[in-house]
Order: sequence, then structure tokens, then C-alpha cells
Amino acid sequence: MSNQPHILVIDDEPQIQRAIRTILTEKGFRVSTASRGEEGLTLAATNEPDLIILDLGLPDMDGVEVCTRLREWTQCPIIILSVRDSERDKVAALDKGADDYLTKPFGIEELLARVRVSLRHSANKQGVQSKLIKAGQLTVDLVWHIVKRGDEEVKLTGTEYKLLAYLAGNHGRVLTHQSILANVWDPADANHTEYLRVYMRQLRKKLEEDPERPQYILTEPGIGYRFIADE
Amino acid sequence: MSMRILSFIQKSTQYLLAFGLIALVTALLIALRDALDTTLVALLYLIPLGLITAFWGLGPGITSALATFLTFNYFFIKPYYTFSVHRPTDVVILIIFLIVAIVISQLVGRMQVSLAAATAREREAIRLYELSTALAGLHDDRSIAQILAKQVQEVSQGEAVELNITESQPFVLHLPEANRPNRPPEWVVPIEVARGVLGEIRLWRAAPAITSSEKRLLQTFASQGALALERARLAQAESRARVLEESDNLKSILLSSVSHELRTPLSTIKAAASSLRSNEVGWDSAVRPELIAAIDDEADHLNMLVGNLLDMSRIESGALKPKREWNILPEIIGSVLARMKHLAGEHRIELDVPEDLPLVPVDYVQIEQVFTNLLSNSVKYAPERSLIRVGAFVEDDRMHVVVSNQGPQVLKEHLERIFDKFFRITAADKVTGTGLGLSICKGIIEAHGGRLWAENVPDGLAFNFTLPLVWEGVTSPKLPMDTENE
Repeated sequence: MSNQPHILVIDDEPQIQRAIRTILTEKGFRVSTASRGEEGLTLAATNEPDLIILDLGLPDMDGVEVCTRLREWTQCPIIILSVRDSERDKVAALDKGADDYLTKPFGIEELLARVRVSLRHSANKQGVQSKLIKAGQLTVDLVWHIVKRGDEEVKLTGTEYKLLAYLAGNHGRVLTHQSILANVWDPADANHTEYLRVYMRQLRKKLEEDPERPQYILTEPGIGYRFIADE
Repeated sequence: MSMRILSFIQKSTQYLLAFGLIALVTALLIALRDALDTTLVALLYLIPLGLITAFWGLGPGITSALATFLTFNYFFIKPYYTFSVHRPTDVVILIIFLIVAIVISQLVGRMQVSLAAATAREREAIRLYELSTALAGLHDDRSIAQILAKQVQEVSQGEAVELNITESQPFVLHLPEANRPNRPPEWVVPIEVARGVLGEIRLWRAAPAITSSEKRLLQTFASQGALALERARLAQAESRARVLEESDNLKSILLSSVSHELRTPLSTIKAAASSLRSNEVGWDSAVRPELIAAIDDEADHLNMLVGNLLDMSRIESGALKPKREWNILPEIIGSVLARMKHLAGEHRIELDVPEDLPLVPVDYVQIEQVFTNLLSNSVKYAPERSLIRVGAFVEDDRMHVVVSNQGPQVLKEHLERIFDKFFRITAADKVTGTGLGLSICKGIIEAHGGRLWAENVPDGLAFNFTLPLVWEGVTSPKLPMDTENE
């Protein structure tokens, strides 16, 4: 029983709680729920869940605040839920340590995919991280710094490789503009989204079949990018 | 002081000129004395007299009349060079002459005075006319006060004019702005309407003292100003009332449209969900996946409707602030097309976007929304299998984007109106949507400082919009150098 991952859902809407609980339980997860921020923080401390699903619009406190307080002591993955048009909050929560986000209303496949990716990442953090990432035709070797499309090696510039390596190393997760800029360029460049746009375009031209309709590096509008690797 | 000296010199010159003219005429007449009859001389003397009065007024006129009378007696009534008169007829001539001279001067003089008064009145009337023309059509207190102060200043030639509006939003306007005399004003006129005092005009002019006719004029100015201010108040109140009425109207249109639009997907969801729940549809029925797909699709549709409503209310309240970043337009278009793949159906979408377009300073999400709305509008109205084109090019310091389709053209008078909320060319029950898509696009583009318009093209309809390429004084930012392959 205790082998099943434990998921804590912090959301004040009973219908959403009910839906998520039903589906996650059905999929074999253990689920506990909280409808207020304080309650959620307490449950997180006592139950030590494997993953937290956190709604940004809580009645008693700001979801971003909950996220910050959780990150003070736990590295447990956090997926945030929020409504459309709150890109600012989403980015803030992601920059405060949330791992991923979902916009309400969302499909259950999406939720399950995010849960799986987040759980795998937290497992990787503790164990050995895969150094060879595969996505369709694409292979990224993070040890030897080799990128291949099919059998052909793709020539990348230094910055392009750093960008791809950061995205591929965190495949499946959304990475905010700021975090990419700070990691690939320099924390001082965190506002220069234009660097990112231009290099991303070059990178996509070299990697994607159709750079206008990318399959490997997806744009998360207003938030950042996500690298999609094979499961 | 200098004014007084000036006017004294002017007056003296007039008298001197009058005497000069009489002397000149006398000299001429003396030369012709033998050829002229005394009566004729008297008549001839009336000419300069009339001229003097006409030109220089009553004072010089009457003085000249007396002077002429003496000269006439001295030079032309025998015995010459004395003031004594022998013949009784000459006495009569002299007396008549004196009377005629004085009467003429009086008449001409009085005419002059009334002419001057008429001119002054005309000037006042012109001033008033100018003022009321300038004030007509003004609807805010400040510009009314500005005009009023300027006109008062021009008319009075005072040192300073101050307008003190005390009603609703009080303010003080001072002309000229720099110097405000350090003493109480010489004259104050209230700006008054029936329901009370709106403010006052203060005038500083030490010299010359303000005359009663000037006071009268300024009073008229003040009442004109009061009327204009009152008119502005009424106009404001009326437009407020109209805005309220319109928004009320819009709200009821919104409510009826929204309830209609929301109910359609809700009915589908309800029908599908309830039939799945009942035992009508078997577990292995082929209808099952169809019903489930319908619930899923209609839920997405509902989500879109709610999103549109939110966007619209944000635009209306001015809360839609683009979060600008340098973006690559083709990337935005690409992500919209990728997401719209299943919506585009049988339509072919053709891209004509050059590779080397500069970066645009836009809100990624909002511009994505614009493309989504314009494209789904095209998909909705253009016939199946027709072509939808998306093009972009740089024009001066703007990016020009065209989204054109082969759908039906729009009547010329409707080209503007299709961007209005809830404006539909087709009846509401024929197409789905909130009727808000295009107005949201317009709101977003305008918030970016651009322009959105529609035009008929030979084979259909084209939406055009522009986006400024300059942001915070910069066009296309510089990028750091890249190191070559490691």
C-alpha cells in the first residue's frame, strides 16, 4: 500500500477536489486533500507527500506564498493549478520553485502526464539522472555533448548547445524564460527574452522537422518552454 | 502721465491746425477781396469751418467759428481792419454767419460723437460675438476659462487677469502667468448663473481707470462665460446619462447573447452526460465515444466563451495591459496554427512570412489570441477547402500583418462595424461564437499602439493590422555574440 505515491491536493473547490481524488485514486495514487493554505502546509509537513497539487487561488493565502513556504523545507514536486490569464502568477510560482503548472479547465491526460513527469524528476534527483535523452529522431548526449538527428550529428554553437542541454536535462518540465536565461546566459540577463527567442528559433531550425510546428521544444505561451522527450 | 502729455499735444496741434487753415483761407480771400461779394465770402468761410469740425470735433469747431467771425468782420466788412460795422446789412450778415457757423459746428460735432459711440458699440458687439464664437462648442471648464481670460485681457489691456472658478472642480487661471500683482484687483466681476456663483473675474489695471462702458462690457463677458460654463455642465451631465443608458443597453444585449451562447454547449453536455449516465447507451455502444467527445469539445467551447467575456470586460475597463517582450512573429503564428490544426478543418492555410522579420515588442499571449480569433473567424465564414493567407511585412517603423480569406465580402458600411461588440452580419443562430472575437482583437491591437481594420479584396475579405516596432525608443535589440561550436 505504502508503495503507492502519495499526492496532496490543495484546492478550495470541492468539485475539483472530488474529480482529482476520484481519478488519481483510480490510477492507484494515495490522495489527501486540503481546502486552505494553512491546512495544506500542515498536511504537507505531517504526511510528507510525494507530490503536491496546489491551486493558486486559495481563500486564506496566496498560492505563490504557499509555494515559497513549502520550498523552505521540502523538494517535493509541486504542480500548480490556475485559471487562464494569470501568467504572472504562474511564472511567479514557477520561479519560486513550483515544478509545473496546469491551466483550469484541464484534461485528465494532461494532469496525469504532468504528475508522472514530476514524480520521475524527483526520483532522478535522488538517483542517477539519465545522461542520454531521446526524443523521436533526436538524441542528446549530455556527457559527450553530442546531438544527433537520426544518425547525423547536428552542429550547434556553444549557446545553442547550452540551451538545448538545459531543456533536455529537464525534459517534460516547463522552464520559465527567467530560469532559462539565468541558467544558459547569466542571472543578469533574466529579462532579455529576445536572446531566448532568437536562439530558440535557430535551435528549432536545426532540430525540428518543421520549425513553425515544433515537436521537441514546445512554447508555453507567456511562461516559457518545455522539452518533450520519449517516455 | 505720458498719456496725458500726449493727448494735450494732440489737442493743441488740432487747434493750431484749425487756426492755420482759417489763416490760409483768409489770405486767399483777401487776395480775391475785390472780386468777391461779402455774402459770398461768408459762405466760402463755412467750408473750412465745416471741415475743421468734421475732422477735429466740437471744441476746435466752435473756437474756429468765433475766430472766423472776428476775421470776417476785421478783413471783409467795411471799414476794413476795424471791428466796427457801418452798414446795418453787414451786421445782419455777421450775426447770421455766427449762428450758421455755430450750428454747423454743433451738428457736425454731435454727429461725430454719436458716430464714435456707434463705432464703440460695434466694436463691443464684435468682441462679444468673437467671445461667444470662441466659447461655443467648448465643453470643459479649463478651456472656457482660458478663452474668457484671454479675451478679457485683450479688451481691457490690463496688467493681469485672473479667473477663479469656485464651483465643482475649483481652479485659478492667471494671465499673464508670470506676474501676479501684489495688490487687490482694481475690479472684480462675478460669474453668475441662475443657481449661483460659479466664480469671478479679477482685473488689475491701475491706469487708465476702468470706464463704465468697459465695466459694462466686462460684465457681459462674465455672463457669457457663465453661460458657457453652465452649458458645459449640462453637456457633461447629458453625456454621462447617455453613457449609462448605452452601457445598460449593452449589458442587456450581453446577457441575452451570453445566455444563448452558454446554453448551447451546456445543452449538449447535459444531453450527452445524462444519456451516458442512464442505461440507454450500452457500454460497448459506438455512440459512447461520440458522446464523450461531444462533452469534451463543448466544455472547451464553454471555456473559450468565458475567456472571451473576461477579455472583453478587461478591455472595456482598460485593464488590458500588454506584457511586452521582444518576440518572433512567425513563432507566434506557428503556435497558433499548431493549436488550430483540428479547427481549421478543410481550409488550407498559407504562410507568407519572410525569414528576416525583425523582432516585435508584443505580448505573446495576446497576439496569439488575435491570430486565433482572426483565423477562427476566417474558418467560420469562408467556404470549405478555400485558402486562408497569413502575411507579414515591415512598413516604415511598423509591422504590417494581413490575414485574408476567400469568404464572403462585407458591405462597405459594415467594414468598421464588424469590430463592434455583438455586431453580426449573419443571424446569431446561424453561427456560433460570442460576437466578441473581433472586438477583442481590436482592443488588443489598440492596446499595443497599433491599428486593426478590414477590407474587401478581390476574392474575399482581409484583416489588416499594424504593430509598432519601436519599444522604449528601441527597434530590434542587439544580441550578444555567440561562441562557435565547442
